[in-house]
Amino acid sequence: MKLKIKSQQDWWAGLMFIGFGLFFIVFSLGTPDFINNIVGTKLIGGYQMGSSVRMGPAYFPAVLGGMLAVLGLLVLLDSVVEDGPKVAKFHFRPLLFIAVSSLAFAYLLKPLGLVLASIALVFISAFGGHEFKWKEVAIMSVVLVIFSVLVFVKALSLPFPICPAFIDICPIR
Amino acid sequence: MEGIFSNLAIGFIEVFKLQAITLGGMTMTLPFNILMCLIGVLLGTLIGVLPGIGPVATIAMLLPVTFNLAPIAALIMLAGIYYGAQYGGSTTAILINLPGESSSVVTCLDGYQMARQGRAGPALATAAIASFFAGCVSTLVVALFAPPLAEVALKFGPAEYTSLMVLGLVAAVVLASGSLIKAIAMVVLGLLLGLVGTDVNSGVLRFAFGISEMADGIGFVTVAMGMFGICEIIANLEQKEKREVFTSKVGSLMPTKEDFKRMIAPILRGTVLGSALGILPGGGALLASFGAYTLEKKVSKNSHQFGKGAIEGVAAPEAANNAGAQTSFIPLLTLGIPSNAVMALMIGAMMIQGIAPGPQVMTERPQLFWGMIASMWVGNLMLVILNLPLIGMWIKLLTVPYRILYPSILLFMAIGVFSISNQPFDCFLMACFGLLGYVCVKLGCEPAPLILGFILGPLMEENLRRAMLLSRGDPWVFISPSKPISMGFVIAAVLLLVIVALPALRKKREEVFVEET
Amino acid sequence: MLRLLLLVSLAGAANPAAAQTWPSKPVRLIVPYAPGGPVDISARLLAAKLQESLGQPVVPENRPGAGGNIGVELAAKSPPDGTTLVISAIATLAINPSLYPSLPYDPLKDLRHVTLLVQVPNVLIVTNDLPAKNVKELIALAKQRPGKLDFGSGSSGSTGHLAGEMFKMMTGTYMVHIPYKGSAPALADMMGGRIHLMFDNLASALPSIRSDKVRALATTTLKRSSFLPELPTLDESGLKGFDMSTWWGVSVAAKTPQTVVERLSADILKAMDAPDFKDRLRNIGSEAPAVRTPDQFTAFVTSELKIYTELVKRSGAKVD
Repeated sequence: MKLKIKSQQDWWAGLMFIGFGLFFIVFSLGTPDFINNIVGTKLIGGYQMGSSVRMGPAYFPAVLGGMLAVLGLLVLLDSVVEDGPKVAKFHFRPLLFIAVSSLAFAYLLKPLGLVLASIALVFISAFGGHEFKWKEVAIMSVVLVIFSVLVFVKALSLPFPICPAFIDICPIR
Repeated sequence: MEGIFSNLAIGFIEVFKLQAITLGGMTMTLPFNILMCLIGVLLGTLIGVLPGIGPVATIAMLLPVTFNLAPIAALIMLAGIYYGAQYGGSTTAILINLPGESSSVVTCLDGYQMARQGRAGPALATAAIASFFAGCVSTLVVALFAPPLAEVALKFGPAEYTSLMVLGLVAAVVLASGSLIKAIAMVVLGLLLGLVGTDVNSGVLRFAFGISEMADGIGFVTVAMGMFGICEIIANLEQKEKREVFTSKVGSLMPTKEDFKRMIAPILRGTVLGSALGILPGGGALLASFGAYTLEKKVSKNSHQFGKGAIEGVAAPEAANNAGAQTSFIPLLTLGIPSNAVMALMIGAMMIQGIAPGPQVMTERPQLFWGMIASMWVGNLMLVILNLPLIGMWIKLLTVPYRILYPSILLFMAIGVFSISNQPFDCFLMACFGLLGYVCVKLGCEPAPLILGFILGPLMEENLRRAMLLSRGDPWVFISPSKPISMGFVIAAVLLLVIVALPALRKKREEVFVEET
Repeated sequence: MLRLLLLVSLAGAANPAAAQTWPSKPVRLIVPYAPGGPVDISARLLAAKLQESLGQPVVPENRPGAGGNIGVELAAKSPPDGTTLVISAIATLAINPSLYPSLPYDPLKDLRHVTLLVQVPNVLIVTNDLPAKNVKELIALAKQRPGKLDFGSGSSGSTGHLAGEMFKMMTGTYMVHIPYKGSAPALADMMGGRIHLMFDNLASALPSIRSDKVRALATTTLKRSSFLPELPTLDESGLKGFDMSTWWGVSVAAKTPQTVVERLSADILKAMDAPDFKDRLRNIGSEAPAVRTPDQFTAFVTSELKIYTELVKRSGAKVD
């Protein structure tokens, strides 16, 4: 008999849960001996299981990981029994630009200061949208920079540099 | 009863007292305490609206300033920031699906749906009214019953907390409107993610993979911003046509008569539940809004509307979280025990001023104690007066084209997340959780149960292990007759599980029958 | 040690203008904990005071994580120009080096210790219904019921935990350690009668002691606390030499010029002698520390490090 996946969503969701479950089991208990023997070294150390009186750090995550894997299996089984929706298409463009823009902000903030980091975020994230108008984005970034400097650095005194670290003299601090 | 009136009179006199204030060489006579209360609630609303900037960081930053104030003025302002932030937090939750605090996660569920249907006005107004009512009632609870309630709070040990968490987790499943198994799996995944970081009981670092930034675990704000905020932006941007996210017609600002009728009972129930749970110093207040939502979804005759913009789903959790915010002052005022990070800061503020927090505050410094309680009423009133007119402005914000709105939201989120520990890594994690959230949405798994599991996971493990340690490994502690509270929670959890599971099972069977015929 | 001092003094000599021009830009004060605790509060108070005397903004920056190690590492590895200060504490300087297998900094080689800011004694408190009225009775009770008494602490590896381990070792008793997340929940469980005793720092325990919610048996320092002068010390109660307190101070990167360190130390000491600042530190439970100058502080850190390394090793507490 050929198994037919009736619910694509559940199929992948089941796999995801099983994956996460196994991940937490392996990392809390360590890799099983037969794998260690093949590799010749203990791949992942794992944590102590402890006893029910003094539960070790591995106890709770291992039990939960097992539960998650079982639940994933149930979802997986369900997917070949019951009809369900298809997985909608992934759109990588907004995903990529949004992720990159927040990373750019985070890693530029300390070296380049709030002003440049904010501008980078606004421009990169705006590229991820449907339309990109230079003028509009430029105006928007100016407004947002002024707002953030006033509210976050001046009013709430977050310890953010405003200007790049290599410029010693900065009109505002 | 008479005592309480004279005490409250002391409090109100203190709040409205005129004081001579020297400012820049000029001496003015001002009702200074009330001004500080206003500043507090304004600032609180601002940081509540800004995602990621929480009251803890703000209060910590303001502490040195408050040392130059009289103790009463300082505490009134700091308390104002705290409950003001609760108000502000619901605004972002409703408008852009961004829970800045754990208590507003459930407000997102129905509040944001209302906003997308052009009913942001009524949603915001409901949140404000519910918060105001709950704030007033629970402040009365604090004034009348603080000492006996504190004794109740002390009855809660590790066993009781564990059972309460189990009940909370079962309730988390009800948050989802889709598949039951997937919702349970999301809760468990959330529990596991919550365990990342240093294990409280052994001090062992778990699942951190050598990344020192993960040693203290993953922050709630990071997860919430990723799974709700980032995910929502991506989901909105993927629409092929340039459809606007919100309906252009804004509709009325205020709730209709029908809406008012529907929100009364949920607000009352939310207030009671929130006041009760807020007293517990170990994460009770966290459960308040979740519990209130679950309760409404189960008792409401409109339960099919939940998750699609039911006004009850906004009113009940908002009432509960504000009630909880007020009653969480009880352990602080009566026992000197902080129930959360903000309360710990309040203790710090009191101690620096030379006041030892605890039951003696009430007798030794009645002006301070009752002044603070009176200020909560005044502050709640100010908040509702401030917030109702602001609704019009917030709605206007929604008419801004989305292509302008989303970079701004993203910037504020990034700033907020970065400010948690002033390092880029949290923003990286936020992006990761955005991806996870996006995948989950595509696979029909809802993020709310995961978030609740994430919050409760570490608390539950900590208390479970502590309970086992204290009972020397006796698993019956949770249902032993010597612990009636714990036993009650376990029974309630089992009942709730049956109630939740039955319709799902029945549905399955019905479907089976349909196929057979 | 000598070579280090030599190096530092050389660096100072090579740059004689450093003290006059320092600080030429804003100074950041790293607080390696989340906002809100007593360490954070005292740091913010200090920042406000230093800002006045240095003429440059002093910005407190919270860098929590890994028991404070992340923030201290950051300061140890930042340019040694005296514009990055860090609040270093007993945990990060004396306990963590033996508790964590791989600490990213050496508390003596990578840091220059400027001034000890706060020193808070711990107190031994028991629940009201415990029959033991003094330390002797407690020891007798613990011997009579081995493994039946529970002692709480704010976290594994905290001074409260280690004080309990020290107590067990010195008295030859066995009690079960119950770790909590901060001392507030542990105190709540004590008032609820679920754990029997704890070694808590004086500041957090004081309100409960004064309102008779718990009973204090002794302080853990050699000298009695001025907050509870009638309370005996453990040393007086038969545990000779028992001396543990929670402390924190200010440190900078190791290669910071001597002149800058001296100026900084002088400014901090001046702030600490100012009556308003002194009062506020006292309100969070601090007795004015006897350790003051950079050299005294360094010697103090060295001796504490030795004591706690030994204690952690003997008690078997560890973090992987």
